[in-house]
Amino acid sequence: MPKSYRDGLPITPDKFVDQLMRLKRGSISRRDFLGLTGLGVATAVMARELGIMPAPAYAAENLGDRMSIATWPNYHDPQTFENFKAETGVAVEVNVFGSNEEMLAKLQAGGSGWSLFVPTNYTISTYKKLGIIEPLDMAKLPNFDGKSEDVRFTAEGTIDGTIYAVPKNWGTTGFAVNTKKLSKPMSSWKEFWDTAMTEADGRTMVHDYQLTTIGNALKYYGYSFNSLKQDELAKAEELLLKVKPHLFAVSSDYQPSMRSGDAWMTMCWTNDGAQLHRDIPEIAYVLGKEGGEIWTDFYAIPKDAPNKPAGYALLNYLMNPKVAVKEHLANGAPCTDARVNALLPKEVLDNPILYPAADLLKPLEFGAAATLTDPGRAELMARFKSA
Amino acid sequence: MSETGYKPDPDNATGGRKSAGSQPAFPMRRSIFRKNLMTALLLAPATLWLVVFLVLPFVAIAIFSVGERAPEGGYQAALTFAQYANLPARATAFWNTMVLAPVGALACLLVAYPVAYYLALRAPDRWRLILLALIVIPFWTSLLMRTYAWIYILGGRGIPALLAYVGIEDLRLINTPGAVLLGIVYGYLPLMILPIYVSLERLDRRLLEASADLGATPLSTFLGVTLRLSLPGVMTGFSLVMILLLGEYLIPTLLGGGKVFFIGNALVDLFLQSRNWPFGSAIAITLVLVSVVVLIIANRISTRLSGARRVDLI
Amino acid sequence: MTAVPDIEFRAVTKRYGAVTAVSGIDLAIPPSAFVALLGPSGCGKTTCLRMIGGFEQPSEGQVLIRGRDMAGTPPYRRPVNMVFQQYALFPHLDVEENISYGLRQARPRLSSREIATRAGEALSMVQLAGYGRRKIHELSGGQQQRVALARALVNKPAVLLLDEPLAALDKKLRTDMQIELQNLQREIGITFVLVTHDQEEALSMSDFVCVMNGGRVVQLGQPSEIYDEPADLFVADFVGKTNLVSGKVAGLSGDLVDVALADGTVISARKRVPLSRGEAVSVSLRPESLSLSAPGGGVLKGVVRNRIFLGSTAEYAIEIQGIGSLLAKADHVIGQGNLFKPGEPVAIRFAAGAPLAFPHANNNGTNQREDQHAEILS
Repeated sequence: MPKSYRDGLPITPDKFVDQLMRLKRGSISRRDFLGLTGLGVATAVMARELGIMPAPAYAAENLGDRMSIATWPNYHDPQTFENFKAETGVAVEVNVFGSNEEMLAKLQAGGSGWSLFVPTNYTISTYKKLGIIEPLDMAKLPNFDGKSEDVRFTAEGTIDGTIYAVPKNWGTTGFAVNTKKLSKPMSSWKEFWDTAMTEADGRTMVHDYQLTTIGNALKYYGYSFNSLKQDELAKAEELLLKVKPHLFAVSSDYQPSMRSGDAWMTMCWTNDGAQLHRDIPEIAYVLGKEGGEIWTDFYAIPKDAPNKPAGYALLNYLMNPKVAVKEHLANGAPCTDARVNALLPKEVLDNPILYPAADLLKPLEFGAAATLTDPGRAELMARFKSA
Repeated sequence: MSETGYKPDPDNATGGRKSAGSQPAFPMRRSIFRKNLMTALLLAPATLWLVVFLVLPFVAIAIFSVGERAPEGGYQAALTFAQYANLPARATAFWNTMVLAPVGALACLLVAYPVAYYLALRAPDRWRLILLALIVIPFWTSLLMRTYAWIYILGGRGIPALLAYVGIEDLRLINTPGAVLLGIVYGYLPLMILPIYVSLERLDRRLLEASADLGATPLSTFLGVTLRLSLPGVMTGFSLVMILLLGEYLIPTLLGGGKVFFIGNALVDLFLQSRNWPFGSAIAITLVLVSVVVLIIANRISTRLSGARRVDLI
Repeated sequence: MTAVPDIEFRAVTKRYGAVTAVSGIDLAIPPSAFVALLGPSGCGKTTCLRMIGGFEQPSEGQVLIRGRDMAGTPPYRRPVNMVFQQYALFPHLDVEENISYGLRQARPRLSSREIATRAGEALSMVQLAGYGRRKIHELSGGQQQRVALARALVNKPAVLLLDEPLAALDKKLRTDMQIELQNLQREIGITFVLVTHDQEEALSMSDFVCVMNGGRVVQLGQPSEIYDEPADLFVADFVGKTNLVSGKVAGLSGDLVDVALADGTVISARKRVPLSRGEAVSVSLRPESLSLSAPGGGVLKGVVRNRIFLGSTAEYAIEIQGIGSLLAKADHVIGQGNLFKPGEPVAIRFAAGAPLAFPHANNNGTNQREDQHAEILS
């Protein structure tokens, strides 16, 4: 994330080009506009060119010279893929996506071409049910150590004792506030929604994502983040429709607007919150005391992966703590692997945005698989957006 | 003096051409066959292209539209019109689109016409090509990039920051209907300018002099001759932009903050988020039908306005 | 003449950048005249017409219409109407709408009944009654020409401007329209200003011909004057057919000069400008002023090379040793078998005053003149 964001007005040509390049690389923010505008399939090629270096005897299997990964924007250290290519001769093509739904849509349609992808915890059971992912061959992942993983975050990757996905990192969904514009201290989703209609009128953003937007509206009334109950969803819808005219945007691409000062408050994921706060200290990250989402992103291999050997090789490479630590420093979300945490600097581990207090974590819920495929929530979201 | 020479003479118009029919038909038929074969060969690539990329997908979508959503999303075979019956669930999106498309096209027209007029009738010859190029060249860049640029121009670090220097604080330009309209006008401007430019360029300048000679003020000349004769270009540009706007989702999402939901957004969400392919397909079919109706109406108007001659819109 | 001229040019010059299209023209066109501006392309005649119409502004000088200086008056406020080259009819309007276009611009507004009546009259005037609802593209060239005329005349202009109105018509139609235009002008009684490069058209239709060359008026006069008494070599050559023969002034006596031709023959010619002894001159000999007879006597002797029999007349190309080819035109009288055959030697005579002597190559139309001479003989 370029720190130049903070200095000076207005944007310089350099910065603009920089932003465009970031856009091209697909590293604007997690679930950024590319995904939300349906262009998630737009592929940013990071290391497309053929490997010039000869493939070393990295593995007994032939890894080929290229593979493709589907992940979230701004989620990796680009150097990781460069290094992987240097070691194995396999160029990694990075496809960035905006939502789990979109990844699922692409995999359901078939022919995605991915050999590795990064689904969020609550989707894994659906992928398994649809037969889209295959059990991982742990023999090919010597760098993974299940004993060093925090079971709270990793459980959903294992179904009926079989490991289908291994964790990358975890995080929370709260909201970011520009405290210079909104000085009133806030600590709950009730305050978030109420402020959106008053002091932050026209300056608030919510995700273009049914899980969090509906989920956090449910939290206003203290209902479960994952509720599928008709009456509870009706209440949430009522709130959303009331807030709609006061919103600045319904978009998961909230970093630019928060940075430019157009938006003062937004629903926010841990890693974005950490990045925003790092660059603009007056932007605070708040977890609603009523609860909300806690999540883990996993790595999984599609059943129709065209280059499984390379998929396994990259996954194993990413599981190397020395590699993973760089990934976490780049992306900012907390890690599930104790071996990695041991390598992280103290100030990262002490960052309350990444590692909130236990009483704030307690009420958080993991997303429920049913919300992913529930037509009722999808229609509610459509009604909210078209209102 | 005799006038008969000037009057239309139906006998004379077709006279003297009858002998051709009395020739033996066989060689004619053979050459017609050869001509038809040639035509068929020439048309084959385009036909194949149309079948593979237009007809087949359209048929697939039509089949999807009478299906059902599978429990986990996607398509499940069925024969039901439930998806069409459910169309009112996206009534707002349809309504927003039916407002946006003509309003956006109109705004585009209001900006494009003076530009095209200047280019065709006022710009010095040596500048004309350069100016045209300046209008077309940005079009080579992806619309996404260009629209994204507007986010920065209209965003807090752009124009509002400049205005803050002169004391206008906290002005919000981005994510407003105005920003969406601006983006649409900007994005579709060349599509509107070029057809109008072409029709104005073809305009016989002497007609303008004739009009002035007959006592028409510049305004009357503009309304009675220039505008009137450029209407085919106007209609082409208008329907082109309007059809594209019927499916537009990018600009409203980026510059409107995703708060206004168009039918294009509904489609994107249905296919890529909730994976309700059958419903999405039903909407897509409906959108195509609406577009066809719009085209037919536009063509009618255009034909009527430009006199008897037919005008092809695209 | 006490009447105010309908059109008056006072020292009018028009420049386009470095190019001078019209250079210091003074011209007065009397009321109710049919005037032709005649000249080769690029002579400035169309520019003059457009300055009257208001489509061009003079760089210097004044254009007056009925005594009013038109400087700064836009075309739509001038009491003149134009019939454009290729007519410039409005393709989106039908015949009647075209004709009533000007009436609908009138302020104060005319009643729709009056517009309809006047448009109907105009249609009848050009013999197109019943064609009101036709589309322009459904009309023949001649009909379009009539619509253009009606569209201009319906506004009752002080002056009707015609820019090469007959150029797009075939020869037969052109001749008909020439007569019709003349009749119209006499009936309506307003001034017609016709621009044409066709000298026959200019001579046959107009009361006055204004011959232009190189942005200047070379001669203004009645058609017969222009033809019989051309002001200079250019006019002599451009208007009608003529033979140009080079020579030197051998003697002067009053209006007449003796010109020694290349073969030594001395002929007597009239001069239009002062000449001096020994000066190189071109002598213009109209073909019809030459009379042919059997060898013996005559001023010049030659051999018939070609004969073109035209019915009432016959034209002969006669080769004269040392001088070149001359064109002669002889009336043919029925029963008087005086046709000469190619190859036959002939004697050529002409009246003493018939040849006109002009200074040789002293004006800027020289090259053009020679080109045209070549055309005439070819």
